[in-house]
Amino acid sequence: MPNSPQVNEGGKSLADMHPIAKVSVGQILGLVEAIDEVGGSADVATISQEVEMDIDRLGPIIDAAELLGFVKVSEGDLTITDLSRKVLHAGVRERKKIIRDIIDDVPIFKEVMAMARAAGRPLSRDEVLGAIAAQVGTHNAADLFNALVYWGRYTELVSYDSESEELTLRAPSP
Amino acid sequence: MTDGHPILEIDHVSRSYAENGKEFRVLEDISFQVHDRDFTCIVGPSGCGKSTLLREIVGLDRPTSGRILFDGEPVRAEDTRVSMVFQSFALFPWLTVTQNVQLGLEAHKVPEEERQSKAKKYIEAVGLAGFENAYPRELSGGMKQRVGIARALVMDPLLLCMDEPFSALDALTAQNLRDEILALWTNPDLPPSAVLMVTHSIDEAVYLADRVVALSARPGRIVKVEQIDLPRPRNRKEPEFYGWVDEIYSLIV
Repeated sequence: MPNSPQVNEGGKSLADMHPIAKVSVGQILGLVEAIDEVGGSADVATISQEVEMDIDRLGPIIDAAELLGFVKVSEGDLTITDLSRKVLHAGVRERKKIIRDIIDDVPIFKEVMAMARAAGRPLSRDEVLGAIAAQVGTHNAADLFNALVYWGRYTELVSYDSESEELTLRAPSP
Repeated sequence: MTDGHPILEIDHVSRSYAENGKEFRVLEDISFQVHDRDFTCIVGPSGCGKSTLLREIVGLDRPTSGRILFDGEPVRAEDTRVSMVFQSFALFPWLTVTQNVQLGLEAHKVPEEERQSKAKKYIEAVGLAGFENAYPRELSGGMKQRVGIARALVMDPLLLCMDEPFSALDALTAQNLRDEILALWTNPDLPPSAVLMVTHSIDEAVYLADRVVALSARPGRIVKVEQIDLPRPRNRKEPEFYGWVDEIYSLIV
């Protein structure tokens, strides 16, 4: 696994949403479960074999789990954290709340949320894409937009209508 | 549901097709029962007729001989107490998550208000809150199957039938969904009461089921019905676990 220099020990300093742009919550939790099942710690090769996924596909999921603070990666060894144990035993709502608190801290997510609050109206896809592109360039903007919609929907902070292409803030169910 | 009879009774069921004037046997003399609170898996090699059997159980196909009784009566396709989850998700691409989930309720003329509240309840139960107005094309495979599961549960089924529900998903997503299906099944406040699942994965069957019905290669016959008495949550790394897997494997291969 390549090291991600921007990550601090807590794994919570998320520079942007890149690592979580192309993976799902289910895959991240599936990875945590797989590591838990072999005793909470294992090397990448073992897990890769265990879940029948090659490193190319598994890599982004490991990066995402690391950045969310669910897995620690050290010299090719994966270890699940206390936070991930908590998530594994949480119900649907509690699990969402834990992940919401993490996603809430992602700078680019924060920025779009603030933009929507300031506008006081739904944001168009193009507006949001523009704001993302200003930060990361146009190359990855569409992927990050999709990630923003996915994680925004999952955490129930954002709703998006793909017909009108409008993004709205929403209040999560209690 | 009374304790007197099983939810589902498969009674000497056989199925054959005529092909070029020859009889082509798919299932032969299948008998077993599913009781309230059972999690039953049917396993067997591909082509053993296990999906055909499931289609007969939900009333989409009829046995050539034998009977299938649901709650003591011959099974009917329109009985909402039996729901089905498909391998291919079977969602309507032009409908949102909420609309897909409500489909069965609409067909049964459930009033609008009740449709909304039920759809909301089950969308939340399968972890899809937030995706209510998303279209299937915006969802990952795992989430599409969650829609399929919510659509089945919204009918409050006594028996949830699933045909290879995780085989189109990557291994991580599949494992996560297996655990969520177990959580739903063990939750007394939510349906289903009993689950009957077809799978080609013995590992998956031993992970999930109380009882495994092992079928032979075509024509499918019951080789054995195994009671898996491992405590949950099960760990696939434990010797007892793969002891069961090995035993069932040796029965059907």
